[in-house]
Amino acid sequence: MLQLELRKLLPYRTVWVILLLHAALLVLFVSVGGGVVINGQKIGSSLYAFPGLWKNLSYVASYFNLLPGILLIILITDEYQFRTFRQQVINGSSAAELVQGKLLVAVLLSLFAVLAVLATGLFFGLTKAPETAGQATTGLQAVLLYAVQTQGYFALAALLGFLIRKSGPAILVFLLYAWMVEPVLRYPTPDDIDRYFPTKVLSSLTPLPNEEVMATMTGSTGALLPGEAVPFALAYAALFWLLSYLLLRNRDL
Amino acid sequence: MVLELNQLSKSYGRNQALQNLSLAVEAGSVYGLLGPNGSGKTTTLGLALGVLRASGGTVKWFGSEPTAATRRRIGALLETPNFFPYLTARQNLVLTAETKRIGTGSVAAVLDTVGLGTRQHEPIKGFSLGMKQRLAIGAALLGQPEVLVLDEPTNGLDPQGIAEVRDLVQRLAGEGRTIILASHLLDEIEKVCTHVAVLQKGQLRTAGPVNSILNAADRVVVRLAAGVPAAKLQQALSALPAVHDVKPETNGAVSMQLAADFGPADLNRALFDQGLVLASLEVRHRSLEAQFLELTK
Repeated sequence: MLQLELRKLLPYRTVWVILLLHAALLVLFVSVGGGVVINGQKIGSSLYAFPGLWKNLSYVASYFNLLPGILLIILITDEYQFRTFRQQVINGSSAAELVQGKLLVAVLLSLFAVLAVLATGLFFGLTKAPETAGQATTGLQAVLLYAVQTQGYFALAALLGFLIRKSGPAILVFLLYAWMVEPVLRYPTPDDIDRYFPTKVLSSLTPLPNEEVMATMTGSTGALLPGEAVPFALAYAALFWLLSYLLLRNRDL
Repeated sequence: MVLELNQLSKSYGRNQALQNLSLAVEAGSVYGLLGPNGSGKTTTLGLALGVLRASGGTVKWFGSEPTAATRRRIGALLETPNFFPYLTARQNLVLTAETKRIGTGSVAAVLDTVGLGTRQHEPIKGFSLGMKQRLAIGAALLGQPEVLVLDEPTNGLDPQGIAEVRDLVQRLAGEGRTIILASHLLDEIEKVCTHVAVLQKGQLRTAGPVNSILNAADRVVVRLAAGVPAAKLQQALSALPAVHDVKPETNGAVSMQLAADFGPADLNRALFDQGLVLASLEVRHRSLEAQFLELTK
């Protein structure tokens, strides 16, 4: 199955364009981020110092999850547009196998995102804050949490792809949901309920660095702690994939 | 039985695309599904191939419930050639072979069979409809499946391509493969099929061996020698149980339909035995279109 999905992915230029764009944006953002001046002081060295770097970087990278999410939507809606889901069922795939194939793609995309974060982190950490290199492997769980987060976003993207079947509308709904619909819904909802909303749970996995410090000044954000959010994030991802499977199994192709 | 459809129905909202279709396809037959556009041929095949969900009824392949595994024993082209446009012809067929869980060794041979060997390394987005159609037929042939389902296989092909596909179907049928062929072209069905089911507006009109269904509409026209009263002929014909639908034609001729086991020679002998000598006897093949209109009336 891995081989089958790779045969579809590797020759596809769109895949490479979006992945390279994703990595380039991350690198660009991180390199520019060090130049930001706060209170007359460059935050550069504090941003790049291990082990805090991993937390900072995971937080920054979380803003770019929508890009590989969009790629996943394209890959899924393509199969509807090309009618290749239909042909694969005719050729002897089951609905479960088709969904598993896309889950595998989502895992590959997470792997790519994590590798991009690791590579970016090691490069900037070792070049800009070499004195902290001894702690380079500390705090890597932040990257692990980031990996869980990407799975959550990709599962949502996949569900929208399977549900809507057309790339443009699906991408639009994905962006609108993440940026507008859920934030608006959260607004009138009490904090102890809205912290369980999907993208809220996912964003809790990569909190703003020094949020604890902020919280003492501005009051608690009401979000779950990263560790607490993990089971909810995984449950959402599982639910979204299950719904995707049910959609594919029960609808006409 | 290779395929059995039982009371199969499909509706899209209030539109009933298929109503209680039952038919059975025997191993080794070339089974034609004939009907005008929108008569339910593709819906029938889509239901049989597991890409459409039936509103009612059952499908059985090889005597059992359809599964992904039974579908791998079938090579099918449904409605349109479906490929990844950015992949080459060869890459697409390799994907097909892997989905069918067969070796990719036969890909090259299949590409040659459908005449795309020299263009196998081009992305298929540059292919004409006819070339994609050839590739789709090639994909269906991969792994030498025991059953082929071909939905309008000559769609988009030039006359030479159409002839090639018909030869191919006949060759495969000769090898004992079961073929299910949907077409709106009557002569296509007549040329290659052993059995036919005629669909119209989602309903089965008739089904059976091609020669009993499509030839039933042939008419025999007879004319008596001069001087014999026409009434005598009418009388003699009405006494023959194998003769029906007698109609007067121009110039004193009479046309009729004969039962399947009663040929023109039998008619001639029976009339001669009654002392009626024919001046002419003609078997008039009705145009295929006329037969079809008759069937779907």
